[in-house]
Amino acid sequence: MQTATLTEEISPRPLPWRRMAGVIWRQHRLALAAVTVLLGALAVFLWISGLQVHHAWAAAAACRPAGSAGCQDLAATFNGTWNDMSIAAILLQVVPGLIGAFAGGPVLARELETGTFRFAWTQGFGRWRWALATLVALAVVLAVLTAALGALVSWCFGPFSAAGNQALGVYGDSPIVLVFGLRAVTFPAWTLAVFAIGALAGMLIRRVVPAIIAALAAYAGLAIAAVAFLREHYLTPLIASNPNLPGTAWVIGQWWTRDGRLAFAGNPPDGLTSTYCNFAQSPPGKSAGTGGGGGGNPWAACLGPHGYLNWTSYQPASRLWPFQWIEGGWLLALAVLLIAATLWLAHHRAA
Amino acid sequence: MSAVTVSARRGADGQAGPRRLPWRRMAGVTWRQHRLALAGVVVLLGALAVLLWVTGLPLHRAWAAAIACHPASSPGCQDLIGNFGASATGGGKTQGILLQVVPALIGAFAGAPVLARELETGTFRFAWTQGFARWRWALAKLVALPVILAALTAAFGVLVSWYYQPYAGGGPAGLYQNSPFGDLFSLREVTFPAWTVAAFAIAALAGMLIRRVVPAIVATLAVYAGLAFAAASFLREHYLTPLVTTSLELPGTSTAWVISQWFTKDGRFAFGGNPPLNILNQYCSGGKGAGPSFAPCLAPHGYTQWTSFQPASRLWPFQWIEGGWLLGLSAAIIAVTIWLVARRAA
Repeated sequence: MQTATLTEEISPRPLPWRRMAGVIWRQHRLALAAVTVLLGALAVFLWISGLQVHHAWAAAAACRPAGSAGCQDLAATFNGTWNDMSIAAILLQVVPGLIGAFAGGPVLARELETGTFRFAWTQGFGRWRWALATLVALAVVLAVLTAALGALVSWCFGPFSAAGNQALGVYGDSPIVLVFGLRAVTFPAWTLAVFAIGALAGMLIRRVVPAIIAALAAYAGLAIAAVAFLREHYLTPLIASNPNLPGTAWVIGQWWTRDGRLAFAGNPPDGLTSTYCNFAQSPPGKSAGTGGGGGGNPWAACLGPHGYLNWTSYQPASRLWPFQWIEGGWLLALAVLLIAATLWLAHHRAA
Repeated sequence: MSAVTVSARRGADGQAGPRRLPWRRMAGVTWRQHRLALAGVVVLLGALAVLLWVTGLPLHRAWAAAIACHPASSPGCQDLIGNFGASATGGGKTQGILLQVVPALIGAFAGAPVLARELETGTFRFAWTQGFARWRWALAKLVALPVILAALTAAFGVLVSWYYQPYAGGGPAGLYQNSPFGDLFSLREVTFPAWTVAAFAIAALAGMLIRRVVPAIVATLAVYAGLAFAAASFLREHYLTPLVTTSLELPGTSTAWVISQWFTKDGRFAFGGNPPLNILNQYCSGGKGAGPSFAPCLAPHGYTQWTSFQPASRLWPFQWIEGGWLLGLSAAIIAVTIWLVARRAA
């Protein structure tokens, strides 16, 4: 802050903030154009495939009677769209990382690497105001663009987590699982967090390409940590002994009790099932991984009469928006903190 | 090629050094200029190898338990089979898809700076005027680096193939299986290095044309995405003519890659893909033939289902075909890049 005061003393009045807008635009228009092209291409893809998904879902939902062969065919068509869409959803996870790293890494690192910071930071505008204006303006533009794409992602994947899917007999998935990080709140939040990581890495490393790589690596670590460890704890999971959870519920854990005490966690041990469970045919098996369309736990029917009670802890689909704001909130706080640290470094660095 | 000869002769005769510098002298220069990039690649592949190893071991254990269990139809065995399916379709699938970006990242970040960094910072004026002619300078780097990258990624591809084993191992009915042409096809020991080298070559050319590192990396990622998408959705299924069968049980049921299905009646084409609704409601309303296969209920009415597919046994021919055209493409792109280096007015 002292430097800022000094700068003000040298030039009688501080230059107005809006004068930076033109400079920021000229310095970063190529990056912003590239982000717009990428998001535009993704939007076209999401729009085209989203229309197919919505048509397939509407056809399956409108079909009567639901059990007929024709309706099952329509349901199978809708379920088939999940094959491609789940791959697209997984690949889309890299987009916030790429946008944030390639937009954020060069902001300070390029000035430092090429030496142009000696010119830019000695203007009447003051170096920390220069950095603040650039980082905030770019962050706001990126947030607006990615929030728009996030809304499109939510629309495109909406039918897979629609409330009535179980009744229709079609595929249902929890909205908190696969594309959770790509929705209207979390997409911009992740992008901004990586942007801030890239800016700080650029300030510390002072070279563009290593800063981009550092931001990508940090994003990978942070995203894995959030998906694997943090997200399920945002709110205390609900607990139910009802084996028929909707397919859109995100199952966190399962365990069994007998006489009010914990018997075992997860799947029943072999000894127990061979004593009590005598399936004529192969049981449906656990609904695999991504949470198939309900159907309950195959073991509950045969173990229930012997006093075993199946408990499931889960996050219901109705918690989507609280979860969105929790994840968006901590990511935005992290981004603000990292940008503040970057500004402090820019301010204190011996030019 | 004539240009190459011309500049080579100029490098040999017209400059201070009476004799050409030996190629091996470039090894030290290449190493010193690119050791950071190579170290980054080694760290990335090492971390991913640890990840694959750690997640692959439980997968192999679950698979070994599932196929060793007898009798296979007992509930205990079915549970083990279900366990394997859950671990195979959950984290394993996500991991396999996300790994697709690795060849692109390695190739783009290793390849783009090779020429673009010299051009962007102006150091090419120094580097390209040494006794070692500039096209030889470019050639030495653009051959040495891809060879090292290919060796590293091929080793990683072997690990991917080990990781994939349980998906294609056969075993009792109901055990989750996957076609080897699925998610991990482009990450095996032939295709992984081939895709990496292709991305490297694209990046080197982009760096020569754009002359700036970061835009060259971005351009490479965009071109790679288009190429990988085209290969996976349009090219791969045509590498060899698909087999055609009327059998409902494909050999190696779920490891075969089904390209398309259609129905014939009285020797004439009836319809492609799924049957139209009116035929289904007419013949399949009894509840039989539920799910995606309607052939059993249509067969008594004269409809024959045809399936064209690629059997899993074609994995290695397909690997060499894809690896071959990618390597050919890479060699062509690198040749163009070196030609541009030789022709460019310094």
